[in-house]
Amino acid sequence: MADWIIGVDVGGTFTDFSARNVVTGEAQIHKRPSTPDDPSRAIVEGLNELKQKTGIVGSEIARLAHGTTVATNALLQRRGGKVAVATTKGFRDLLEIGRQVRPKIYDLQADAPPPLAARSDRLEVDERIGARGEVISALEDDSLDELVCELRTLEDIDSVAICLLFSFLNPEHEQKLVKAIGKARPDLFVSASSDVQPEFREYERFSTTLINAFLQPEVGRYMSRLKSNIAEAAPEARLGIFQSSGGLMSADRASAFPVRTALSGPAAGAVGAAAAGALSSIGSIITLDMGGTSTDVCLIRDGKTEIANVREIAGFRIRLPMVDIHTVGAGGGSIAHIGTDGLMKVGPESAGAVPGPACYGRGGNEPTVSDANVVLGRLPTTLADGGLLLDQGKAEDAVRKIAEPMGISVIKASLGIVGIVNSNMTRAIRAVSTERGHDPRAFTLMPFGGAGGLHVTDVAASLGVSRIIVPPTPGILCAEGLIVSDLQENFVVTCRTSLDGPLDAVEAAVQTLTEKSEDWVVAELDGDATVRKSVTLDMRYVGQNYELPVNIETGNGLGNLPERQVLKALFFAEHQRSYGHVDQDAPIEIINVRLKCECPLGQPMGLGSMPSGPFAAKGAQDVWFDEEAPVPTAIYERGDLPAGAVIEGPAIIAQFDTTTVIPPAATATVDAALNLAVEI
Amino acid sequence: MTGATELDPIALEISWNGLKSIADECFLTIMRSAFSTNIKERHDHSTAIADADGRLIVQAERALPIHLASMSGLMRCILDSHGDSIAPGDIFIGNDPHVAGGTHLPDINLAMPVFDGDRLVGFVANIVHHADVGGAAVGSMSGGLDEIYKEGLRIPIVRLFRRGELVDDMMHLLLLNMRLPDERKGDLNAQIAAAKLGCRRLEDFLQAHGRDYLLAVFDEIVARTNRRMRIAIQTLPDGQYSFSDVMDDDGLGTKDILINLHIVKQDDRIAFDFDGSEAQVPGNFNLTLNATQSAVCFALKALLDPDVPNNQGIFDAIEINAPVGSVVNCVAPAAVALRANTCQRIVDIVIGALAEALPQQVTGAANGANTSAVFAGIDPATGQQYVYLETLGGGMGGRATKDGKDGVQVNITNTSNLPVEAIEMEYPLRVEEYALVEDSGGAGQHRGGMGIRRSIRPIGHDCEFNGVGERFRNQPWGIHGGEPGSTGRFMIRHDDGGVMPLPPKATGVRLMRDSVAVIETPGAGGYGPPDLRSDEAVAQDRKSGKFSNAYLNQHYSISTGSRKSGS
Repeated sequence: MADWIIGVDVGGTFTDFSARNVVTGEAQIHKRPSTPDDPSRAIVEGLNELKQKTGIVGSEIARLAHGTTVATNALLQRRGGKVAVATTKGFRDLLEIGRQVRPKIYDLQADAPPPLAARSDRLEVDERIGARGEVISALEDDSLDELVCELRTLEDIDSVAICLLFSFLNPEHEQKLVKAIGKARPDLFVSASSDVQPEFREYERFSTTLINAFLQPEVGRYMSRLKSNIAEAAPEARLGIFQSSGGLMSADRASAFPVRTALSGPAAGAVGAAAAGALSSIGSIITLDMGGTSTDVCLIRDGKTEIANVREIAGFRIRLPMVDIHTVGAGGGSIAHIGTDGLMKVGPESAGAVPGPACYGRGGNEPTVSDANVVLGRLPTTLADGGLLLDQGKAEDAVRKIAEPMGISVIKASLGIVGIVNSNMTRAIRAVSTERGHDPRAFTLMPFGGAGGLHVTDVAASLGVSRIIVPPTPGILCAEGLIVSDLQENFVVTCRTSLDGPLDAVEAAVQTLTEKSEDWVVAELDGDATVRKSVTLDMRYVGQNYELPVNIETGNGLGNLPERQVLKALFFAEHQRSYGHVDQDAPIEIINVRLKCECPLGQPMGLGSMPSGPFAAKGAQDVWFDEEAPVPTAIYERGDLPAGAVIEGPAIIAQFDTTTVIPPAATATVDAALNLAVEI
Repeated sequence: MTGATELDPIALEISWNGLKSIADECFLTIMRSAFSTNIKERHDHSTAIADADGRLIVQAERALPIHLASMSGLMRCILDSHGDSIAPGDIFIGNDPHVAGGTHLPDINLAMPVFDGDRLVGFVANIVHHADVGGAAVGSMSGGLDEIYKEGLRIPIVRLFRRGELVDDMMHLLLLNMRLPDERKGDLNAQIAAAKLGCRRLEDFLQAHGRDYLLAVFDEIVARTNRRMRIAIQTLPDGQYSFSDVMDDDGLGTKDILINLHIVKQDDRIAFDFDGSEAQVPGNFNLTLNATQSAVCFALKALLDPDVPNNQGIFDAIEINAPVGSVVNCVAPAAVALRANTCQRIVDIVIGALAEALPQQVTGAANGANTSAVFAGIDPATGQQYVYLETLGGGMGGRATKDGKDGVQVNITNTSNLPVEAIEMEYPLRVEEYALVEDSGGAGQHRGGMGIRRSIRPIGHDCEFNGVGERFRNQPWGIHGGEPGSTGRFMIRHDDGGVMPLPPKATGVRLMRDSVAVIETPGAGGYGPPDLRSDEAVAQDRKSGKFSNAYLNQHYSISTGSRKSGS
């Protein structure tokens, strides 16, 4: 029986596996070093190791859900295909000018990265569509032929990005180009902006399309390699690739739309956090995913991750629905130093995995956040499992390098390092909460990643948050998130319509979306599945230039939009929450209709084996919570703690790859879902 | 509360972070809730926190340099005119350059005092560039106006809120004097919301840390910034540096407006003296001293230490002398609406003066302008009036290690463009071209950046075009042997092929439905002699099509066969 679902999250340092048997609830985890030259190697080798370790047979694996950084890395390293662009006559420089802004206003040397297609590879096509979707200048066959000829003169082109003005209203010209290029040059990958993201604002749409074309060769090759490797290791497994929007898609779709995986990794953690919270009936969560070099935070409302529709990755603008993750350069490896203003700074420079913090004893000697935690006794020098041994002496030496010039003790410097990194993370959380109209005090903080549990109580205190919940396996929450992810597809139609006039255009958009979603169900699910559909209207006051996404309850069907007054009320509520004011009389318009389709594949997150019986501290050590004096603190093994266990702070709860610190006066309780609930 | 002992380099860093968060949150509040395109897409606004003496303490990360001194000016004026009657819940508003610390009328300043009990501890302030504040021409940014009265409504420092209550009369007075009053109201509401939010956040901070601590933090921030800036100034070789440059014209007949700069630098002190600069001009390119100060601070910071925080500590490190009644320190009733162009020129001049002192940091002259284009008319489909305002980037100067960036906002401005699709959906206009201008970047070892061309046609109606350009007659110069970039220009192209050149300050031009307004912004100057440009770089210039063969052959000696045509 194919009973196993496996989530594989490939990170920069480690490839994490989480396996769950949907019949027995049995859970297994595995972690191995990543293989950056070909990430699929670590996947297959790790899969084989997991099979050996646990006795899972390859044919018992029903699904493999994969979070990938291939696209992200290709973008960061500009390692992708050579792309030609076909665009509307008069606009070949649009992709280069972008929004005509500089990344840093005061820095005369800092530039936005040059476009991913050279100017000589950006070709113009004689055609024009107008603002109502009407054809102003037709795309003649001669122009098509001319473009195909011009393409032949370009050297070593791998793919073509088709970027025409107003193609989101009328894709006819773009689709003509797709056909003509496909026929003349079947060797080329093609991305059309009306397929990639048919949405208004040309620069963002073109940029997203160009990035997609740039990634197609690299990600396409990776996907086919992965598919054939998986076919051997897990012949029955259906492969799902995780999208930045928080759901899975098929490998073929990932090959066609690789830009959708640009934020695959961190998004999986947010989905895992939502699932872990759901088991304890907690729907309002702010995540704190702290790794070695950075921390990702994400806000979850009603069990759903917040979605952003535009963001920059490696200096390139992408317009797609993406789990709204905010990243700061603050991690366990972040280095403390004295800034030019004489103040202590932490990060964004990081000791990374190599050489790593000084306490790793691998040649690092700069004071890092991890070193400060070792000095303060918060990070036990032997990791659970007797794993990595941390070197207390080296940590102290490193911190002394910054303490002595400041004339303060090593303890005070360490508390300072931790305090500053916490304040950086607090700013990141404010960016996703207060700055978007959410009061963080109404949320539960969920730490994960290697270092989240060390800092979460301090961060919570500075935000006024009183509830924290630590999932059972914080170190591999991304892989856990993959297991519970649904198949997902997002559709959008731009249809600018006044809310006071006839809503025909919106009805037509809904109709288009319905057809698109039905096609998708046929293509990706063989037409046979339960699909959850949710509609969002992007609305604004006439004259505003940002749209507010407003979720619309349409039952589970489409076509029956709520009454105008209901739409208005929903918009007002969202405007009030986001901006703090509404104007009851100002005219409102709808800009986009979005449809999210989700097809549930997984089981709710299972519980695996439950520890029971008495538990006891595994040891104790002195921990500094303030400058006065250290406090003797008991150390517990997380795996020993049964549901119902109550631990009074101060305490350290250690596990495989994570440590959680419970400060004095706080209480931790293991709940029925094995989540650790901390009240401060 | 023992402020002194608590203010170590760690506690201060953490508190400073907290204050930055407040300014940033206010900034986002305005961006997200304002009504006008100018704010939402172009982010032409700023937010800040000041102390009870009006010293600027923290500015939002994305705040604009030109707004820095304006806020500081506003604070001084509030304290001078209302110092003894400021009460909790008051919100002050003002925009006038001559009596309210502003730099031009569209920038409306708001400030709200923050109290601890009955003691004033500081202010939260914000500035929004409003798309219209009345006056002779739509957009309140038109060239050709010769006194401040024509440029729009002058607001001295007045209360918009008194002890928490909106002063309705004032709001009515303001809105009646502005075009598109609904949009103005929306933007003012965004400013009010941001001020109230900032005030609340600062009160929370007070509650958590106490007044003595907050005041100590304010002092330390300014002192440390000042020290940091002085350390940066110290790195400049001691000596005297001079440079001068001219503005094209003021739109009212004054041509080649001279701006003269003499810098004396000794140890950690630096003085900028603009003696010898032209008297204030009739046209609206004059700078109040605030604006001059903003531009000088921007330039010095950009050259010496781009990351130094924006606050009073910078002002205090830099001495500025500008003759009263000159174009760089004007007096009432001088017109000032287009001061951004003059500010850009001051940045160029500071860079030019320090060319020898900072050879690695300086750049060729950038497009040196804040080229703006306003299209206004009646939409034939709706019968409604519309105003579309755009400021366009151009070339950035060549640099010591690389070419200048093409088609980008430079120096004190960094506002986004409006998407072509947004323009055409919103206005009865069609954008026919958006491109880099061929051959516009000055030659050099590292060439200057290229200007932008945008061509716009009114659809189904005639409209009015107003354009303001600079460096349309005087080219942006090269540096260390680099050559100048090209000038910009405005013209009207008729469908019958005729082309009508427009003056650099084009006011009230009728644009017919069968014609296109073409805007070309200046390029920028190169860095280093063109002879030193690598063959590969020249080949790239040729292959990209950014430069014609004729241009390349003229400016770069053909040393080897490797510079044959690449395309």
